[in-house]
Amino acid sequence: MTVTTAVVLAAGEGTRLRPLTHNRPKPMLPAATRPILEHVLDALVDAGMDRLVLVVGYRRRRVQEKFGPDYRDVPIEYIEQSKQLGSGHALVQARDSVSGPVLVVNGDHLVEASAVREVADAFAADEPAATMAVIERDDPSRYGAVTLSDGQVTDIIEKPDTDDYQLINAGIYGFDEAIFERIEATPRRDGELALTDTIARLVERQRVDAVRVSGLWVDATYPWDLLTVARSVLDRGRVSGPERSAGVWVAETAQVHEEAVLRPPVAVAPDAEVGPETVLGPAVAVGRNVTIGANTTVVRSVLDSDTRVGHGATLVDTVCGQSVVVGVDVSVPGGPADVRVDERVFTDRRLGAVLADRAHIGGAATLEPGTLVGPDATVETGVTVDGQVPENGRVVR
Amino acid sequence: MCGIIGCVGRGDDTLETLVEGLANLEYRGYDSAGVALVGADGLSVCKTEGELSALRDRLEGRDPAGTVGIGHTRWSTHGPPTDANAHPHTDCAGEVAVVHNGIIENYQPLREELEEQGHEFESDTDTEVVPHLIEAALAGGARPEPAFREAIGQLEGSYAIAAVIAGSREIFAARNDSPLVAGLGQDSEGVPPQDGTGGPVFLASDVPAFREHTPHVLYLEDGDFATLDGGLTVTDTDGVAVDRGVETVEWDAEQTGKSGYDHFMRKEIHEQPWALRQCLSGRVDELRGAADIDLELGATLGVQFVAAGTSYHASLYGAELFRRAGVPAQAFLASEYATSTPPIGDDLVIGVTQSGETADTLSALREADRRGAETLAVTNTVSSTADRECDHTLLIRSGPEIGVAATKTFAGQLAALNLLSLATVESQHDRRTLLPALRDLPGDVQAILNDSNAEGIADAYEDASAYFFIGRGLQYPVALEGALKLKEISYKHAEGFAAGELKHGPLALVEDSTPVFAVVLGSGERAQKTVGNIKEVEARDAPVVAVTDGRNDAHLYADHVLEVPETHPRAGALLANVQLQLVAYHVADNLGRPIDKPRHLAKSVTVE
Repeated sequence: MTVTTAVVLAAGEGTRLRPLTHNRPKPMLPAATRPILEHVLDALVDAGMDRLVLVVGYRRRRVQEKFGPDYRDVPIEYIEQSKQLGSGHALVQARDSVSGPVLVVNGDHLVEASAVREVADAFAADEPAATMAVIERDDPSRYGAVTLSDGQVTDIIEKPDTDDYQLINAGIYGFDEAIFERIEATPRRDGELALTDTIARLVERQRVDAVRVSGLWVDATYPWDLLTVARSVLDRGRVSGPERSAGVWVAETAQVHEEAVLRPPVAVAPDAEVGPETVLGPAVAVGRNVTIGANTTVVRSVLDSDTRVGHGATLVDTVCGQSVVVGVDVSVPGGPADVRVDERVFTDRRLGAVLADRAHIGGAATLEPGTLVGPDATVETGVTVDGQVPENGRVVR
Repeated sequence: MCGIIGCVGRGDDTLETLVEGLANLEYRGYDSAGVALVGADGLSVCKTEGELSALRDRLEGRDPAGTVGIGHTRWSTHGPPTDANAHPHTDCAGEVAVVHNGIIENYQPLREELEEQGHEFESDTDTEVVPHLIEAALAGGARPEPAFREAIGQLEGSYAIAAVIAGSREIFAARNDSPLVAGLGQDSEGVPPQDGTGGPVFLASDVPAFREHTPHVLYLEDGDFATLDGGLTVTDTDGVAVDRGVETVEWDAEQTGKSGYDHFMRKEIHEQPWALRQCLSGRVDELRGAADIDLELGATLGVQFVAAGTSYHASLYGAELFRRAGVPAQAFLASEYATSTPPIGDDLVIGVTQSGETADTLSALREADRRGAETLAVTNTVSSTADRECDHTLLIRSGPEIGVAATKTFAGQLAALNLLSLATVESQHDRRTLLPALRDLPGDVQAILNDSNAEGIADAYEDASAYFFIGRGLQYPVALEGALKLKEISYKHAEGFAAGELKHGPLALVEDSTPVFAVVLGSGERAQKTVGNIKEVEARDAPVVAVTDGRNDAHLYADHVLEVPETHPRAGALLANVQLQLVAYHVADNLGRPIDKPRHLAKSVTVE
């Protein structure tokens, strides 16, 4: 028995990543210059999966439009989860599309192909009730901590209060078809079916094997995490396209002026343009069809596709969504800041600004550290902004 | 992306099964297709570049006979013409035929070695070494199956390969890093025998190729060999039989290739940001103000466009671009042009055709060529007839379009025509102002797809007795195209007019049950005049839907507004069209029409 079908859970919005998820689900946010989900599909195809079932929901067309009927020649079937009622509920939607053992993976964080392969092989060889990947992390309180005994999972603790645990759930599972009934038999919490609840119940009754995996495993919880994700991807060279010099990737159809300076690691995606005397890097990802004018400085930032940065602008620790317009001489100096998300305040984050899709920053405006600008919002020329600008908001002098 | 099909045990239906299988892989696109069959008279191969219809034409009257066969289809967006390169490929004696997906990395040394042994090659493909390797092994005395195995053993790279050999009633297949799936036909009780004996057996790169014949499938794994005869035998690299397990697929063939959309048209509407990126990729340099489409056109005094349907509307738009740059230009309906050809003089004649096979457009281009004109094809299809016959080609690179109603290819045509006028006749100043707007197109189209309220407007007016569309200047072709899209797929009466022409007749048709869609962009004189036309319509109680960028007063007089992002008015025309595509789609969907295959219409009109 081998596992060759993978189910990818890609239906959730990722609400803590707002305002970046206004137009697309979390799996479609950029991990450097390509969507997170594209990295996940690469891992699955590299691990030998020959059939992909994508459970899609929130803004599902963005996923369908990007990947179409197959990815790297592996056929994709799309299943719609019309209401996002948890990861277990999402998986059950794929019930009629799979037969035999399946590999299940979250579509919203990066994993290694080797980790996928190890889980698939271990599940096929040992035939436990379920197999799950676990990975060492020093911040388990953000994730699901896992305890083991003799290679078997003994407990899953979601977002524990302490960082005393060493291992977390890496979000890669091997299941057989019995999982669907087990999910349906799991009591709902707040109306939702979490896959981890089902596994936690399963652990008490049957054998759930753990496979310790290592290597790249990065997740974005909050918008600024996309900067860390990009850094990890760049540091490990998970960039498609030619490497011009060590740590500097420039796509064939990108046009980087000979007088621009690229400080590694930097990735420039297809059709991007970079003007003269501009300095990019370190840790900068320039997305597809992005235009960066002359004399611009961009440091530790992610600029998603179709964004336009005017001459003389400075962007430090900045996340730009798609089709953002940054005017000439705009300044985002970056630095530590207290960032407020809903009612929570995150102190001392290194964040310049987060600019959501189609935000428009007028010339010579200044964004103080930690500023969040919503989708389609406008900051007019010369204004200094601190804090949050809502969707469609307009800041005038 | 390529597709493979193969079948054994379909008797006299073998050829049709292969061709239908290729048709079911249609979503993978075509620029060439071919089949090979083995029958009592040996091996016969029929292949051609062009769409599947071209293969059907070539098969007409030839009907290669056989009960064992393989087929192949191929699509490339950028690639070179593929005359000799179509699959299946054969050996020197024409006794072995092979189809292949993937890349054979060591084909160069293999080919040199084979050539030294006296083998002659007809194509530039890596695939062609495979039939010659099999031929060599057969000549060495091997039986067919070991000969195939020996040939495959010499390959490095990724492949899904299927081969047939004259005199052998079997298909031999192998897989490495490229998908390949077998289908086991059902017996009369609908039960598939585990070894496939008793019913037909199929092979394909994807299940939809044979889904109509059987839901029972077996996925081959890397390193597997398969032999299809009366049954199916799967072995590993060492020739040891392996059991891959039969699975039953439950979905139906209709859905495949639509990537989760209900219709290809909807999918293609949503693919427009991607298609536009492809069209513009590597062709513009915004910071230097340059457009490069790699064409060397002779000096021409003027331009004549020839086209039909949606492509004609793109031509009207293109002609207006050239006229604004001071070059005399006119768009002609191809069917009229072919028989009532205007004086051409030293004009460049541009044929706009998505498929490159539109008979009316081809005959207009041929007439222009006969009169000595320089010709240019603007097309989506590499190595189509238009591409081959014209002096120059500008590819729109939209990817395969399956829905009969053109959507993303109209967007691609408008973008490509902008590139053409920018690269040939427009000033540096125009390029500087327009290139950013062109580069913004993918994101601007995405913004419309994110937020469009077209569905609500379709709901409100799905019962209207007729629909009118008006626009001025560059928005006039958009009005015509909006009406064409609606009538094609909803079967409702729809007409587009130049906004100023309304009061010269059509206004008599306007009443409270005939919504008027007005395309009004920018704030200039043209926009103000169209706002005046909106007021005329309002006075006749007709509901008005304004498609506008909000830079004029249209919204004050309209009942509904379809917004497009503010941009250069030229790019705005393309954006306005996206909103109208969505309106047409939702009206037709509400009315339950067969959107991808409307009655009486064909995707590519290859008859005059």
